[in-house]
Parts: sequence; C-alpha cells; structure tokens
Amino acid sequence: MASSAEHHQGGGHGQHAGMWVFPRREEVTSDVSGKTFAMPSVYKLALGIAAVLAALGVVGFAIRASSDGFGSPGPWGYYAAIFSFVFMVTGAAPLVACAFRFTKSHWRRPLSRVSELFAIVGVVNIVLFIPLLLAMPPIKNPDAQGTDLEVRRTLWFEVPIGAPYTWDLLCFVGLALCSVAILWLSATPDMAQARATATGFRRGLYTALAGWWYGTKRQWNHQKAGLALLGAFYFMLIIFVQFIFITEFAMSMVPFWKDSVLPPMYTVMSFQTSLGLILIVLFIMRKWGGYEGYLGKAPFWSASKILLGLTLLWTYHLFAFFITYWYGRLEVEQNILKYLFTQPYLPLFLANMLFSFLVPFLMLIWNPLRRSAWGPSLAGLSALVGALLFNLRTFAAAFNTGNHYEFALSHVPAAVLPDIWDIFMVLGGLGIVALVYLVSAKVFPLISIWEVKEGTLYQKMDTFVRGEYLVLAKPE
Amino acid sequence: MQEGRVLSTREMNRDLLRSILDTPRWFWPVVTVLGLVLLIAAIAIGIMVNRGLGVTGLNRPVAWGFFITNFVFWIGISHAGVMLSAILRLAKAEWRRPATRAAEVLTLFSLMTAMIMPIVHTGRPWRILYWVFPYDFARGIWPNIRTPLVWDPSAILTYLTSSTLFVIIALIPDFAVLRDHTTGIAHRVYSVLAMGWEGNARQWKLQIVAGVLLSALILPVFVSVHSIVSWDFGMAASVKSWHSTVFAPYFVVGAVHSGVSAVAFALILLRWCYGWQDYIRHEHIDALGRLLIVVATGWFYFLVMEILFGMYGREPDELMVRQTQFTYWPYNAWFIVFVITTYFIPVILWLSRAWRRNLWIMSIACISVNIGMWLERFLIIVPGLINKQLFTFVWADYRPSIFEIIIVAATFALVTMLMLLFSRVFPLVPLYDVKEGDVLKTQVQIGRRTVPATFRED
Repeated sequence: MASSAEHHQGGGHGQHAGMWVFPRREEVTSDVSGKTFAMPSVYKLALGIAAVLAALGVVGFAIRASSDGFGSPGPWGYYAAIFSFVFMVTGAAPLVACAFRFTKSHWRRPLSRVSELFAIVGVVNIVLFIPLLLAMPPIKNPDAQGTDLEVRRTLWFEVPIGAPYTWDLLCFVGLALCSVAILWLSATPDMAQARATATGFRRGLYTALAGWWYGTKRQWNHQKAGLALLGAFYFMLIIFVQFIFITEFAMSMVPFWKDSVLPPMYTVMSFQTSLGLILIVLFIMRKWGGYEGYLGKAPFWSASKILLGLTLLWTYHLFAFFITYWYGRLEVEQNILKYLFTQPYLPLFLANMLFSFLVPFLMLIWNPLRRSAWGPSLAGLSALVGALLFNLRTFAAAFNTGNHYEFALSHVPAAVLPDIWDIFMVLGGLGIVALVYLVSAKVFPLISIWEVKEGTLYQKMDTFVRGEYLVLAKPE
Repeated sequence: MQEGRVLSTREMNRDLLRSILDTPRWFWPVVTVLGLVLLIAAIAIGIMVNRGLGVTGLNRPVAWGFFITNFVFWIGISHAGVMLSAILRLAKAEWRRPATRAAEVLTLFSLMTAMIMPIVHTGRPWRILYWVFPYDFARGIWPNIRTPLVWDPSAILTYLTSSTLFVIIALIPDFAVLRDHTTGIAHRVYSVLAMGWEGNARQWKLQIVAGVLLSALILPVFVSVHSIVSWDFGMAASVKSWHSTVFAPYFVVGAVHSGVSAVAFALILLRWCYGWQDYIRHEHIDALGRLLIVVATGWFYFLVMEILFGMYGREPDELMVRQTQFTYWPYNAWFIVFVITTYFIPVILWLSRAWRRNLWIMSIACISVNIGMWLERFLIIVPGLINKQLFTFVWADYRPSIFEIIIVAATFALVTMLMLLFSRVFPLVPLYDVKEGDVLKTQVQIGRRTVPATFRED
C-alpha cells in the first residue's frame, strides 16, 4: 500500500501551510480500514502500559474495598475524584462531534469518530459508578431520625423511592445508551463498507451492526436526522447528568455548600477537557498513527479557539462563585471557601488554576502556537491535568467533611492525603480509559470515513484575485 | 442556489443610502409622536424631582422597582452588539454582515438609556454626587468604593466607550461612501468623519486589524458589564434570593437572549421600513432564530439552576421569596407569563424553519422574549425585597405609580427615536461589510447540485 502522504494533497500557503489536507476520496476507505486492522508495535506498547495501569487500579480498588468497606464515604474520596475526572472528560467527548456537526463545521470531520468513540468508555463508567453509590451516605440520617438533622441537603427534595441510588444509576445508563446509539449510527456506513475487507470477528460484528445499511438516499436522510436528534438529546442529557452528579456527590456532601454555578462550571470544564483530550488523541494519530494525510492543522487551529473560549469561560464561572461567597462575608460561606480553596487544599487549588487557566490561556492567545498541531494539544494536556487536580480537590474534600448531615461547616477540616491504594486507583482510572479506547480503536475506524469523503466534496482550493484560497461550501 | 439577487455596487449604494438621501414620508410624523412621548416623560420626571420619590410606588423595603428593572433590561439589550458583531466576526459567521451595525447602534443607545435610569431613580439626580464625593468628613461618611454599585458605572462607561469606538471604526468606509454621495455641508461633515479614507490596501488592512482587535478586547468588557450588574444583587447577602453564585452567567446569557431578539426584531422593522429585502433576507433572520434557540436553551438552564438551588438550601426566608414568586398574586401570574413568553413561545416557534423565515412569526417571538425578559428582572428584584430580610423587619408590597410607568414606556420611545435619527444620517446596514460578503460568495458544483460556498482565508 502506498504511504499515507502519497494519497493526499495539502492546501494553504505562507502561514497557512499544511493547514488543510484533501484526502483522495476513492482511497479513503481502504487506507483507513488498513490502519484500523493493523497492529503496529507502538500500539501494542500503549496497550501494554494501559493494561498495567488498569491492573494497578483493580488492585488498589480491591484492597480499599476489603480494608475499609463501603460503610463510610471518607476512604473513597480519591476514587470519587478519579471517577469524576473520567466521567467529566469522556462523558462530554461524544458531544464534540455532535455540536460541530450541528454547526456544519467542516474542520470537525477528521475528529468526529475520535470523539464518538468515547461512548464505549461511557459504558465502562456505569461499572465504575456502582462502588460510588455504595459509598455515598444515605439522604436520611440513620442516627438522627425525627430531629432537625434528619436529612442532608439533597436534590431529591421529597426523597422519592429509590433516591438517590436508582435514579443516579438510571441517569448514567441512559447517558451511555444514548452515546452508544450515536456511535453506532455514525459508524454504520463505515462498518458497512468495511464488511468487504474485514475478516474474523470484525466481519461478524460489522454484519450484525451494519448489515441493514445499503446507503440509499432514504437511509442517509434517516441517519443524518437520527444523529441530529440524538445529538440534541445527548446534549441535554449530559448536562442533566453532570448536574445530578456534581450536586449529589460533591455539593451535598459539604454542609451548607449551596452553589448554583457549580453544575455549569463542571459542565464547562467537561467541554474544555474533552476537547483537550480529543486534540491529544488527534496529535498522537497525526504523529505516530500515520493519519497525517487526514489531519491538517485546521482541526487544531479551529478547536484551539474554542478551547481558549472554554478556558476563559471556566475561569469566569469559578470567579462568579468565588466573588459571591467572598464578598458576602457570611461565616458559613467563608468556611467553605477556606476549606475548598484557601487553606488545606490551597496547593491543589493553585495548581488547578495554573493548569486549567494560566497555562492554556497563555499558550492559546499566541497565534503561531494555535496554528501548530502541538500547541493546542499541549494546552489540552494542561487542561486535563488541571481538571484532574480540580476533581481531586473537590471530591477528596467533599467526601471527608465529617458529618454530612450538619447544617453548616462549623470548622475547616484538614486535608486528606492519598495513600498508596488511592494512587493506584487514580492511575487505574486513567489506565482503564486508555485500555478501553485503544481496544475500541481496533474495532471502529478512528476516522469517520463517510464524513471525510463528504468533506472532500465541500472543500477545495480555488483562485481568488491573485491567490489560492479555501472554498467552503455549506449545504442547507 | 445563493439566496438573494446579485447586486451591483451602484445598486447597493443606492438602496442602503436611501434612508439618508431620501426622507420617507412616515419618518417625521413617527419621530414627532415619539418626541411627544418623551415630552410627557420629561414632565413626569420634572414632577418627580419637584415632589420627590413619594410619587412613585417605591417604599421601605422595596427601594428598587420599575426604574432599576428597566435599567437591567436595557443593559441586557446592549449585549446584542458585541454578541452579533464581535463574537460572530471572530467566528467568521457570514450571515452576521447585515445585522452588525444595527446591533452595535442598539448597544450604544440602550446603554445610554440604561444609564439614565439610576439617575432618575435617585429622585433628585444631584444626589448622585453623594455617591461620588465624600461629603461629610466629620461623621466619617465615605463613598463605599468596594460596592458593586460603584463598579457598575465604571464597567458601563468602559463598555460605552469601547462600543462607540467599535461603531466608529466600522463606519469609516461607509462615511467615505457618504462623502462621495453628498454635497454641501453634509459632504463636509462626512469628509471629516471619513478621516481621509481612500480605500487603499493599507487602510483596509488597518481597519480590519482594528476591528478584530476591538472585537477581542471588547469581549471581557461585554461579559463584565452584566456580571457586575448581577452582582449589584448577588453581593447583597441580606436579600436571600439574590445571593446566588449563578447570577453572573445567568444575567449575561439572559442579556444576550433579549439583545439578539431585539436586534432580530429591529432588522425586520428596518427591512419593512426601508425596503431592504435584498440585504436583510430570510436566511439572516433564520440564522438569528437558530442562534436564539441555543441561547434561549442556555438561558433556561441557568434559570432552572437559579430556582432549584434557591430551594435546595431549604432556608425559610429564601423559600418565602420563592413562594411569593410562584403562589402570590400577581407575582404568580407574572411568573407564568415570564416563563412562557421568554422560553416556550419563542423556542417552539423557532424550531420550525418555515416559521423562522416568517417575519411576522419571528417578530412575535422576539417581542415575546423581551416582554418575558423585562418581567424576569422585575421578578428577581421585587419579590426579593417585599419579604422580610436579614436586617429589616418590615414587609411591604409594591405597586408602580403612573409616573414610573410613563418614564419606563418613554425609554422605549427614546431608543426607537434614536435609532430612527441615526438611520437618517448613517447607514444602518454596513455597506462595506455587505459588499465584502458579496465578493467572497461563490458556488460549488456537487453532482447535479449547486451548493453555496464562501472563500475563506483561514
């Protein structure tokens, strides 16, 4: 097979050199399928590392469960943190494809599948979520029935049957189902095409999942309408589930913490980090995966502007919370500020600000850096580190406040440092995500073949006055 | 197919300068009627200054009523300019072109109008001096520079200054066109305003760079203005329903919602008044409608957060405010009207492509949003104040007096009149922007279909 570079033509000149690539339509299917089925050594190495990390996580979890049990939330603070991080980043990732498909942005085409593939991680999230449900204290205080401290603050005002466990779990199941449906619908045309060349289990899988697809006009119309509807539904669902999760597992665990901007802040951070993660995956694909013929700098450049906006938006939400509490000067609120920001977890907070705001901001305001592939990816990595610190700070603090049924935080509890099993669980969480994603990438092509092929029809270089410029067609 | 006719430069100049070079028959009668409304409001203000704030419905503890509601409303409308002009310029949304000028000008006039409201609200405007200058050294009474009430004018004046610059920079090429189409005093005035514009490559480059830079610089100001307005409320820990951390983004998104709706309605009016069917096309209104679905839904999410977390705390005084909003007459009725008009009516209408392209339906939807958004501010301010608060021990209701109603109504007349007068001397659809968009238009042939396309430098 010819090398990837031979299959494609580049576009752009001067500062736009390498910005756009135009893969040859007739060769996209065979080239991408070939890459999907191949098992290069770098892939095997990554798979091995991810498997080791995942195994560490399982060991950490098993020892934590056997030594501490699920009776008290305190020991599970770091587990909650890594779960929240994984959920935050991977839950919102499929939305990136949906959102930019909705706005008809052509630069999204090479990253659509990369983003949708995180739907598989969403299924794993359900399994990871169950231990958290076991560790969460019940809404009703078992030690204070009939007193003022009978229930802790909760979203489930009248505590309906099954609250919060059943409803929380249903939220996660619904979310995973919706994201998998998006992945399936989006990947169907590609799987149908790959049936011809696939062998073994892939052939059987593709036939089962995409055997019905013949590519008729009616099917294409249904597929596009379905993607739009599911995308809109997923958008609403992810925001709802994130709102439930951050309120239930962080805010309601800290007495008197009433922060209406926390769910939007969490959601904005999830958008920021999922975009960051997708950029990192794209960078790896471009650098080591042989996909440079599909990935010009345009996706990085376009996504970098959105990443900059999301970085600023996250900081704005954080500031809105901080200033309202700080200026209000209410003692109970000051204690929450001290606890989460300025006293025991100050180093984590400062590092969180550095990686979530300062580093990506300073990188992304610089135009030459935004035009590179590594700049936005590095900013994305920084955002991910920042988000991990945010979750560690928030959840380790929330799970260790002492009495979750108090009216207010009467004192500032001390910080709880992770032990070796916590560290294992944190590394394991990252490993499981990488492992599942790497395995999924060998089942579903990492490039959305039909979208890239469609994109070649709508984008071309053309002469305008004295130069060559990109022409973007926008169908209705 | 591209929507709209292909127009020559001559036709564009003729059509878009029509509002300046020819006076429509309806123009002066409409301005006169609006002027009369303003005159009545001026008399009302005069009486209020003479007799004091007792002529209004304000009382203790409801010290903020219609005037402050109206202040927040007009600040909100002013967010249309940056949203449509700066953000869409940075996002390179082609459909923004005919809407930018109207949005920017609406920003200026609504900001000016908003600034009038706190002055009127003082009852006797010279009392503003007490806020600015320390007036009683002996008793140690100093202006509290740490209050958001002081941050407010700083943010608003910065926004006004930067928005004015934004409008002027964008107007320069159009001033030059006007200079070349006028004679006498008008020619001399436009020559001065055009600042020697010849349209050479260097001037265009500078103008574009200035526009992009201002777009980026104005964004933080845009966000800060309504955030600070929200903190006028949010920092008041004593009024429980106001002390909410979500207020800043909630207010900003609400402002964009009302502002963009107002611009969409203004564009429909301009199209109708000046016959700009070839410039303000259905596709533009359609795009605004689609943008508004997203904005409205974002706003609705913040509304739900605000209400839900208001009740989440289960604090009796906050629950009392919510009870007032949801169950006490007439606030319960206003609350239902507010939610329906701000979200459900418009969004349901915007979901249909055919309805987004129906100008009557779009007008109804946009007006509906602004009725709702005005009520939103009223329902935040008044129910919070009429209940017992942390440091006050009085309850009272609030009924706006005829003076307040007249003055608030007059602000709508003022903004309309200023927009009309502006359209008499400056083009409300940017000529150079529309022409540029026309030049960049092209088409791509895909099989048997011709798809509209655009040249992009990046």
